[in-house]
Amino acid sequence: MSNAIKQSGAYLEIVSFHLGDQEFCIDIMAIREIRGWAPVTPMPHTPPYVLGLINLRGAVIPVIDMASRLGMKMTEPSERAAIIVTDINGKLVGLLVEQVSDMMTIRGEDLQPPPEIIPEAQRAFCRGIVALEKSMVCFLNLDTVIADELAQAA
Amino acid sequence: MNAGSTTKRNLSVSKRLATLAGAALLGFGSVLAVGWYQNGHSEEALEKALVAEQGMRTAEAVRFAGIELVLIAMDTIIDREERRIQPERVEGIKAAFDLIDTNTTELEALARILGKPQLPSTFAADLAEIRKAIDVDLKQMVEAGAPAGDFARIDDVIDAAGERMNAVLSELTEAAADLAAERIAEARAASRHALALQAIAGLLAIGSMLALIWVHGGVLRRGILGLRDSMQRIQSGELTTAVPALERGDEIGEMARSVDVFRTAAIEKLSLEQSAVADREQLERERERRGAEREEAVARIRIAVDALGRALNQLADGNLAVAIREPFEEDLDTLRRDFNNAVERLSHALSMVKENTVSIEANGRQMRSAADDLARRTERQAASLEQTSAALEEITATVKTATERAEEASHMVGETRVNAEESGRIVGEAIAAMARIEGASNEIGKIINVIDEIAFQTNLLALNAGVEAARAGEAGKGFAVVAQEVRELAQRAAGAAKDIKALVTRSGNEVGTGVKLVQATGDALGRIGANVARINEHMASIVVAAREQSTGLHEINTAVSQLDQMTQQNAAMVEETNAASHTLAQDTEKLSGLVGQFRHGEFREDRLRATAPAAISAPPAVHSGVPKAEAPARPIAGASAKPGTPRKPAPVQASTRPAPSPAKALMGKLAGAFGNTSASAHSVSASGENWEEF
Repeated sequence: MSNAIKQSGAYLEIVSFHLGDQEFCIDIMAIREIRGWAPVTPMPHTPPYVLGLINLRGAVIPVIDMASRLGMKMTEPSERAAIIVTDINGKLVGLLVEQVSDMMTIRGEDLQPPPEIIPEAQRAFCRGIVALEKSMVCFLNLDTVIADELAQAA
Repeated sequence: MNAGSTTKRNLSVSKRLATLAGAALLGFGSVLAVGWYQNGHSEEALEKALVAEQGMRTAEAVRFAGIELVLIAMDTIIDREERRIQPERVEGIKAAFDLIDTNTTELEALARILGKPQLPSTFAADLAEIRKAIDVDLKQMVEAGAPAGDFARIDDVIDAAGERMNAVLSELTEAAADLAAERIAEARAASRHALALQAIAGLLAIGSMLALIWVHGGVLRRGILGLRDSMQRIQSGELTTAVPALERGDEIGEMARSVDVFRTAAIEKLSLEQSAVADREQLERERERRGAEREEAVARIRIAVDALGRALNQLADGNLAVAIREPFEEDLDTLRRDFNNAVERLSHALSMVKENTVSIEANGRQMRSAADDLARRTERQAASLEQTSAALEEITATVKTATERAEEASHMVGETRVNAEESGRIVGEAIAAMARIEGASNEIGKIINVIDEIAFQTNLLALNAGVEAARAGEAGKGFAVVAQEVRELAQRAAGAAKDIKALVTRSGNEVGTGVKLVQATGDALGRIGANVARINEHMASIVVAAREQSTGLHEINTAVSQLDQMTQQNAAMVEETNAASHTLAQDTEKLSGLVGQFRHGEFREDRLRATAPAAISAPPAVHSGVPKAEAPARPIAGASAKPGTPRKPAPVQASTRPAPSPAKALMGKLAGAFGNTSASAHSVSASGENWEEF
């Protein structure tokens, strides 16, 4: 669905966030809501990056620590941390990020593909790199990052 | 016998009585000792007899028990048809055996005492046999209904054993009875022996006492009778016969010696009376001879007195050249020579007085000029004292001012201390205010946190709005712009909150520094307060010192006024001295006039009697030297002591001399008031000495 939009070469709206020192971004259309940090209910027998469950207006959704999922150090949840509630293939998933930094609009061609030397399995996480004036932002492929895991879990 | 009698004569009466008492004690003691010793012997024998009797009784009891046993056994054998032993018989057998058993050891002891230890061994064997026969065999046979033959055999056994026991015990009893009888006889013999010994000892004691009484009584009676006879002889005047028993060592000997002293004293008294009569006759003759001599001497003395009277009259007329040329009788010639010497010495003394009068005149002039000097110096002294007094007043005023200033300074220091304490309190308040500021800063921090939170939430809301706008597509474009604005606003708010937080943190740090500084100020103020307290102490001591100075100065003032008064008195005394020295000069003139009335002579006794021994001429030479040496001192004293002199400088001198130097006291007080100044003290002592000289 989103691929179609991007391929059109039109403008792309993204929301960027910090994980540790790195900056990542996701398509705004995948986002349902951005919430402040609230304590989660842990779940047994889940991978370490699945922090637990939260109640979103009656709907129970899982929360994933993105930093841990992407192989970085676990995020220390603080008051300034945020949970980005995403809709991935019709399933609601909360992503814990350190800080939501910006909301911007980029052109389709600004999105550059990741370098080829990175192996395929790892490259699947990243849909592309957005080069800004000050930094480079990794455009995450939520389908691979989350959907596979959720499919496995399901 | 003779030697014995001498020793006996030397014993005192108490010793004699003591020998009597000793003999009596020895007799009674020996009687008592013999009685006690023999009594012990008979006691011992009786004890042994009692033991034997006791043993005898025991043996009898055991023998009766054995006979009882045998009788009971016989009865039992007779009543064997009953097939059992009657209980009272069993009791009897048991009692008999118990008696025998309890007394067996006693019997053995008895046998040993009697010297027949083999007897109880057969007795024990028999006892065992009879015990077996009665206790075991007889009982079984009775209960089993044994045949009559068996009973007859056991009866024999019991009988034989009982007989043997009986024989042994009888023997023991007899032997014991014999022993007891023997012991009793021994005791009786011992008591008889004792009685005989006591009788002999008593008789010996009585005999020796009688002999001693006879010996001592004879000695004492003979001594006392001899003494009585000699005392009667002394009373009747017969003193030549010696007192007997002088050599005795006892009380009679002492009495005899005392009587002998009486006798010797009586002899001496007789000889003294005879010599006194001879002396009285001698004295009578002597007195008659002296009467004649005295009349002769009176005549000679009258001649001498007449010559002396004439010479004295001439002397009274002022003729110092008078001399008695005719020699007197031998005894009275010394009087003449003495008179001549006295006149000569008087003449010499008067010429000396004349010479001294001249020197007194010169001294009087010197004194006059010295008195004038003294007057001038006293005036100068009075002037100096006035100056001193003025200077002292100035010093007093200065010290008073210094005291006031010091007191003022003390007050000011007190105020300063109060201010310092006040400052300390203010510093405390400042610290409290700082703490309040810190609290307010914390409050501000909390509020800013709230603002920050709101900004964060706004940001989140704006993000959500942006998300919604994006999802709305073209229709949400405008809304997206608004959302972006709101986001920026929120971010600015967050930035401002962060800045304010930083500012508040800095302000908190500054406040902390301020608190430290204020505390340091407080400490410094505390130190200032302590220093001020010390200054206050110093000021107090300065004030005290100033007051002491003031007191010292007051004393100095008093001393100076005393000094002034004394100087006035001195001036008056100097005037008196001046007048006295004038009077002295006049008196000296009068004196030389008086001395000039006497005529001097050239007569000298030495020349008259050139052959006279040196001893006569020596005294004038000696005496003439003395007045010469005392010459300068005498006339002044004579002048001052002269009766009728109107002014007497002596009392003034007496009153001024012992008075302590006021100047010295003043300097001492000054030195005490100002503590140091040893140099001035030194000069003070020097001036004090000057005063003393002056």
